[in-house]
Amino acid sequence: MFNYTLRRILTVVPTLLVLIIFSFYLMRLAPGGPFTSEKPLPPAVMKNVLERYGMDQPLYVQLWTYIKNIVFHFDFGPSFSQKDRTVNDVIAQGFPVTLTYGFWSAVFVLVLGIPLGIVAALRHNSFWDYTMTGLAIFSQIFPNFVLAPILVLLFTLSWGLLPGGGWNGGQWEYIIMPAIALGTSYMAGVARLTRGSMLEVLNAPFILTARSKGLPERTIIWRHALKPALLPTLTYMGPVFVYMITGSVFIDVFFSTGGIGQDFIDGAYSRDYAMLLGLAVLYSLLTFTLNLLLDLMYAWIDPKVRSNL
Amino acid sequence: MKIRSAIIPMLLSTTLVTAAYAADVPEGTQLAATQVFTYRVLDEFSSFDPQVVEDVNGSEVVRDLFEGLYNQNAEGEIVPGVALSHTVSEDNKTYTFTLRDDAKWSDGTPVTAGDFVYAWQRAVEPELASPYAWYMELMSIENGAAIIAGEKPITDLGVSAPDDHTLVVQLSQPLPYFAKMVSHATTFPSPKWVIDEHGSEWTRPENIVTNGAYVLTEHVPKERSVRERNEMYWDNDKTVLDKVVTLVIGDDAQGLTRWRAGEVDKTEIPSGQYPTLKEEFPTEAYALPRLCNYYMTFNVKNGPEPFQDVRVRQALSYALDRDVIVDRVLQGGQFSAYTFTPGATDGFEIPEVAYANMTQAERDAKAKDLLAEAGYGPDGEKLSFTYLYNTSESHQQIAIVASQMWKQKLGVEVTLENQEWKVFLETRGNQNFELARGAWCGDYNEASTFLDLLTSQSGYNDGKFSNARVDELMAEAKSSQDTNPLYAEVEAILADEMPVIPIYHYSTNIMLSDSIQGWPINNVEQTWYAKDLYKVAE
Repeated sequence: MFNYTLRRILTVVPTLLVLIIFSFYLMRLAPGGPFTSEKPLPPAVMKNVLERYGMDQPLYVQLWTYIKNIVFHFDFGPSFSQKDRTVNDVIAQGFPVTLTYGFWSAVFVLVLGIPLGIVAALRHNSFWDYTMTGLAIFSQIFPNFVLAPILVLLFTLSWGLLPGGGWNGGQWEYIIMPAIALGTSYMAGVARLTRGSMLEVLNAPFILTARSKGLPERTIIWRHALKPALLPTLTYMGPVFVYMITGSVFIDVFFSTGGIGQDFIDGAYSRDYAMLLGLAVLYSLLTFTLNLLLDLMYAWIDPKVRSNL
Repeated sequence: MKIRSAIIPMLLSTTLVTAAYAADVPEGTQLAATQVFTYRVLDEFSSFDPQVVEDVNGSEVVRDLFEGLYNQNAEGEIVPGVALSHTVSEDNKTYTFTLRDDAKWSDGTPVTAGDFVYAWQRAVEPELASPYAWYMELMSIENGAAIIAGEKPITDLGVSAPDDHTLVVQLSQPLPYFAKMVSHATTFPSPKWVIDEHGSEWTRPENIVTNGAYVLTEHVPKERSVRERNEMYWDNDKTVLDKVVTLVIGDDAQGLTRWRAGEVDKTEIPSGQYPTLKEEFPTEAYALPRLCNYYMTFNVKNGPEPFQDVRVRQALSYALDRDVIVDRVLQGGQFSAYTFTPGATDGFEIPEVAYANMTQAERDAKAKDLLAEAGYGPDGEKLSFTYLYNTSESHQQIAIVASQMWKQKLGVEVTLENQEWKVFLETRGNQNFELARGAWCGDYNEASTFLDLLTSQSGYNDGKFSNARVDELMAEAKSSQDTNPLYAEVEAILADEMPVIPIYHYSTNIMLSDSIQGWPINNVEQTWYAKDLYKVAE
């Protein structure tokens, strides 16, 4: 397992390098640049601006400087659109925000989704099952851009219970709506996945064996059925979790959380090269880390996987 | 006496500006117990550094944090800031400002003329590479352009401080509206000792030192910023608002929802919703004139051949019913435009432009005739071209309406093409278009900020229109005492030559709570200062 982990970690470096080089050149292909504006800068001013950001150098020199700064100074460069700040500043401020509401959203998804799925599976074809399934489908057809305004309409405008947006240092009343809006359709997905795989597992021969041995139902569910039934959910949650903690553009814009989700879009529109690259690196590091954790969890849950590592 | 009279004196004279402007609370007003003003901004600010900031919202904050030589009052006229008055030399090229002696930075240091010299040198310094260096060039400060180009040291800039309370500015050419330009953020003073100590992090709340009515106390990028009363400000006694909070809300509709919920006092109205909101909140929905125009520009350099024919350009312009666009499509209190310069521009009187006075039916008839004369239309060649605009719902609506008008009235076939903002700018800037959308917002409140765009040497003249007489008139206007006849002639040439089709002049649509008073609704640049506002009890 240790060797496996080490091997995986070592592959990150070349992967990241390829990603940086590829993204770096790809971004420059887009017409316009960070300083293209409705009022074009006079040539002398433009020259000074380009020099200041080292953009007067040939592309390969810029790329080399960029990589060097990351490796030796962990410096992702200046932001062109937020001129008083560096990309490191932007990520340091925005990432904890998205991480916070993304985390609570994931908690919401799992704490509600898994029990709903299990109950539906155990009470198969009963009133509970239909209610849960109905609820899950209903939630799934509510994308966050429909759900968020509804939540605000109810909780802010009608009942005056929660603030309509903002972050305010991450106080709980500011987290609730973003977390629910972000998580609801995933929660529904998790509930349905859990229900499906639980049903499958419950009909598996080893559960039949357990039943015939006379084990109590509780032990069968908790000790034998739950672990394998959660495997598909885990697979599903990996990428979803990365998506959640790197922020949803919509949630960030709509609830004005100040998270990094919006920086992706802003960065693309304003051609904020350093910002985009920095976020791409962050995104891929997170994807990698969570995928690795997920694989290790598989191994923990499933002996078949463990023996293959 | 208004500051504009500074333009008139031929002899050395002293100009006093009107009394300082502060929150003007009528007697008997019941003020709210907590004087906090919260408003929505669309995006995170580009910077709080006066010499670096380049966005409108950022400049609003900077105007509260820093104070320049002059401020603007509710009418957009200049009133004393750090400077009390100025004199102009006989040749109109030397301005001497007298600074007040009670202005202080928030750390207690007196504000001196040297702080302005430092800031202005900083604005043109190639190392800082301020994108707004061009504004200093526009101000015609001696050697500004050469310093930006790296040909001269910053110490050669035509600005000096003979003593702590005198600032002398040397211009390379007379500029009648120079005094108006010093209420712009780029010209605000900067605290050298703070910048030296903290470098690029000097604008953080924990480091920043300001000389305006407020200090920055909190800043969470992309979420909120808080500025609070600066106890050291010379006119602090008259400031009423204690605290100003900005919330970044990226979505217009959500901004409105939070205004309804009472979370913000001011927000922009989502496009198309002004009429209904005005009905629902008659005293809180505003449509304010704004110094911006919306136009379409012909590519007269390498556009399609028909565009070289002035009759075709006129016909296309005449056939557009501006009133329909303004009253039926936009519905936000915009103004139909027949001149390039908005009528709200200070000192600009809309000249008589023949086609503006016709009825739309007359214009339509004339358009058909003109197009036929040029050999296009039902009996001639078919006219077709592409109209390019940047991707946006309201631009698209206008494009569709315009193309329908052209099709129905003139039988012209228009292909609509939209591009993402920066792609669009690059395409238009490289003259890879036939007819393109354009818009321009004034940098200062004077007609030349618009009309200069259509001179041959302008870097913003994307249609590459070139007319020797226009160039001549605009050059003359730079030093003229009476510019209106010159601008009227330029507008007449534009109406004749029709290099651009003016569509409308902008308005700003905002929701502003009744409790906030003192908003300068007559200031067409929407230059407001929190120190002039106050909150009444509801």
